[in-house]
Amino acid sequence: MVKHIIPNSLKEALDYMDGHYTTIVAGGTDLMVQRRNWAELPPTFTSDPVYVFHLSELNYVNEDDKNVYIGAVTPMSVLLDHPATPQLLKDAIAIIAAPGLRNMATIAGNIGNASPAGDSLPILYALDALVRIQSKSQNSLLPIAQVIQGPRKTILDNNELITEIVIPKDPFTFQMFRKVGGRKADAISKVSFTGSVRIEGKHVTDLRIAFGAVAPTVVRVRDIEMEYEGKTVKQLQQQVKSLQEAYATYIRPIDDQRSNKEYRMNVAMNLLEQFISSLKEE
Amino acid sequence: MNDISRSIPKLDSVPKAFGNERYVNDIRYENALYAKTLRSPHAKARILRRRYPELPAGYHIIDHTHVPGENVVNIIADDQPVFAADRVTYYQEPILLVIGPDKRVVLKLMKDIHIEYDIEVPQFEWTDSVVHYHFTKGNLAKVKEQADKVIRREYHSGYQEQLYIEPQGMIGYHDGKQVILEGSLQCPYYVKNALIRTLNCADDYVRVRQATVGGAFGGKEEFPSLIACQLAVAIEVIRKPIRLIYEREEDVESTTKRHPSHITMTAYVKDNEILGIQSEVGLDGGANIGLSGVVLSRALIATTGVYTIDHLDVTGDVYRTNTVPNGAFRGFGAPQMLFAVEMFMHHVAAELKVDALAFRQRYLAKQGDHTSTGGTFRDPIIMPEMLSRVLDESDYLNKRERYASPDSHRGIGMSWVLHGCGFTGSGEATHIKARVKLHKRTTDEVEILIAAVDMGQGVKTTMTKLVATILDVPMSQVIYDNPDTNFVPDSGPTVASRTMMIVGGLVARAARRLRDEWNAGEDQWIEERYVQPDYIKWDETTFHGDAYPAYSWGINIVEVEVDPATYEVTVLETWNIYDVGKAIDEQVILGQADGGQLQGLGLGYLEVMNHKQGVIQQRNVTDYIISTSVDTPPMHNYLMDNPYPLGPYGAKGAGELTLVGGAPAVALAIEQAIGKEIHEIPVTPERIMELMNDE
Repeated sequence: MVKHIIPNSLKEALDYMDGHYTTIVAGGTDLMVQRRNWAELPPTFTSDPVYVFHLSELNYVNEDDKNVYIGAVTPMSVLLDHPATPQLLKDAIAIIAAPGLRNMATIAGNIGNASPAGDSLPILYALDALVRIQSKSQNSLLPIAQVIQGPRKTILDNNELITEIVIPKDPFTFQMFRKVGGRKADAISKVSFTGSVRIEGKHVTDLRIAFGAVAPTVVRVRDIEMEYEGKTVKQLQQQVKSLQEAYATYIRPIDDQRSNKEYRMNVAMNLLEQFISSLKEE
Repeated sequence: MNDISRSIPKLDSVPKAFGNERYVNDIRYENALYAKTLRSPHAKARILRRRYPELPAGYHIIDHTHVPGENVVNIIADDQPVFAADRVTYYQEPILLVIGPDKRVVLKLMKDIHIEYDIEVPQFEWTDSVVHYHFTKGNLAKVKEQADKVIRREYHSGYQEQLYIEPQGMIGYHDGKQVILEGSLQCPYYVKNALIRTLNCADDYVRVRQATVGGAFGGKEEFPSLIACQLAVAIEVIRKPIRLIYEREEDVESTTKRHPSHITMTAYVKDNEILGIQSEVGLDGGANIGLSGVVLSRALIATTGVYTIDHLDVTGDVYRTNTVPNGAFRGFGAPQMLFAVEMFMHHVAAELKVDALAFRQRYLAKQGDHTSTGGTFRDPIIMPEMLSRVLDESDYLNKRERYASPDSHRGIGMSWVLHGCGFTGSGEATHIKARVKLHKRTTDEVEILIAAVDMGQGVKTTMTKLVATILDVPMSQVIYDNPDTNFVPDSGPTVASRTMMIVGGLVARAARRLRDEWNAGEDQWIEERYVQPDYIKWDETTFHGDAYPAYSWGINIVEVEVDPATYEVTVLETWNIYDVGKAIDEQVILGQADGGQLQGLGLGYLEVMNHKQGVIQQRNVTDYIISTSVDTPPMHNYLMDNPYPLGPYGAKGAGELTLVGGAPAVALAIEQAIGKEIHEIPVTPERIMELMNDE
């Protein structure tokens, strides 16, 4: 039998997690589906669920000159309306599921769940988001790419909880997010593309590209980006084929009940091309 | 008198919006037990041995050994057992029920059941033809010799899932005299007749009541008989209330769907004129024949769609495969065929390098023409008037020209469709023999006693309105409760777009008689029976004669945009016009128009379902994609009156008509947007990519 834990504070949660085998429930929008049971029976947990969605100390959006700070249980619908939320993240949230679900879902949950199709993840990768992870005795801030290890796999230890997401405020001049699902709303991504650039004069001084749902984790390759940073917009546009080839080795999509490899690869490449060709000198 | 078409509030809108309707899962009996189905994990296997666990007190396993009568679900073909006995022929075929008061214990017992199988090689290829039909019109062999050109195309369509909001379910008990079942179903008497056969009991030993139905679309035509029979066997043994309610994934994996099809059409042409057409139609029946033969005949009869072609050779086969049995779904074989014929007429025109619209107009059926089966279109056909109206409203001609360049990434497509109203052939007269009753109580309230089911389509509203209008009494004086076989006569199943035209026709006749014989304060009963019009002749062995008493007609125009980077289709806007004779309630028909079109468009471009080794891959509403409100385009729907003399106030069928043209219209629009011929639905982005990259 599992014990259902409803802590009164973050401290209580971390205290209980220290020494117990637990499952964190934030909005529960993915988890409750994964653990579904015959109707009217409780979900099938194999470790003690710790409910954190109600912890107001983790429900906030703050900002300073450098960063935006998002509490781990801030619902997506709050982020969608908040002036401090980065625009790309808003773009992604606006087409995640449906309004009812967005009232419960959290981006910390997206991270903890580590689904290759999690729609907020490519944005967090592209924006160099940092994830605060706390346990009873530790508090660390790690880049998102280090936190997510594989499909449904994170670096988090059993006694650790995601408490905050920190997103640096980098100045971009152009950004694009495209999610391709089976329909226009309430769909799981077949592939998604995120692009962010800073263009100063003729030159691309900051280039960030992330692909979702085309590999075990989000594809963002800093080496490729650095190779093209410093080039002019025109050069970048002339070299789009080689840029596509560079990403092709990192994009390893699968065939599943929603789409197939060829489509995912093709669309990822088309969106990359579309992004690059939309760039304009400042 | 007011025009009967003028809309009134739909009677079920308020209770449904407020959550006050009781669906089967809302019906609670004290001490009801829960039943769960144990299913085959294999697509084909012999059952060698079963080892059941020891059962705690109050728990039961019900299997084929408990069936008192025949272990067969009475559909049309006798090939679905109530419980699999010595073999299973599809993945998720039901084998037994585990029943008891605590769901957790039931689940635990399910795990402790061991069944030993001898796994056999399943059949997934379409080679085992179990139904074969062939008919001709004119003399195709002769015109083949005259042809200077032969044009052939193959068309394919996939599964479609009804995806009613409320999954299948039934609840029942024994009251000491009768086995009483209440369920989500379309055909109370199909269920009752199936129960009598399975229980081997007297006619009055079983009672079937319709619970409020949360959507059906044909999915609750024959399938509920299976769970009803299982539940009745269990109730007969256990004598306690039992509920058998499906979970969504269980429902999607194990219940009937629309038949996938392969259709080959060959046109024999001379001097740019079609002399004759040969069609070869194949349907995947799944593991059982069930209704597939009837679905096939409706497909075959629709072989030339709205066109008159003098020489035809039509063959059809239902293939048995070790996959989930396919069955009734709104349209019933016609959507697959109409997709093929509408695409084909465009493809023939393209190959002949003639204007498709003018080409099709030459063949458009006129009153007095002979149908594909040599029957006669007796009633006026107003398609030319409908066409001119909808061309205007949509600006089709200009758009068709403007989108001719593939750089526009836009397209507009137009389908012309008809739908035969009522049962195919002489089904109404020989199989159904509908009876209806009106009962006037001493309070002068009038009760409509028919077996027709309101599954959201609005029949409670329209039947009540029909009777109230004829009797000139307030709606509140007319009563139409959910059918209960203890009280209502068999007016036939709620299928085949027959309810208003056939059943409503009888109800209207009964109401007129009641009006004429009205005695205030007196208890009065009126009964009417279906009589086939003399001039309708049908030979079901040769497929010759009038396949339907009447036809409804429609035109769908769909405008799309295709994203060249992601190959996604956006349906921008649609224009649709229908001749349903006369709308008994305009809003009810417009409701059918919206819903039917979304389902038809879904079949055409959105709803993907396939199986892998007999296992359905899209098992829930996350993976099986139907339109959301965001995908729904503005839909402009128009109705034109063309009253049918034998329908109530001129009404014909409407429910299926609104679906059948959606797929070809959207496929034709996509075809224009990408500049490639389309032969397969749904036209998914994955398929569009292949077509666009295939230079």
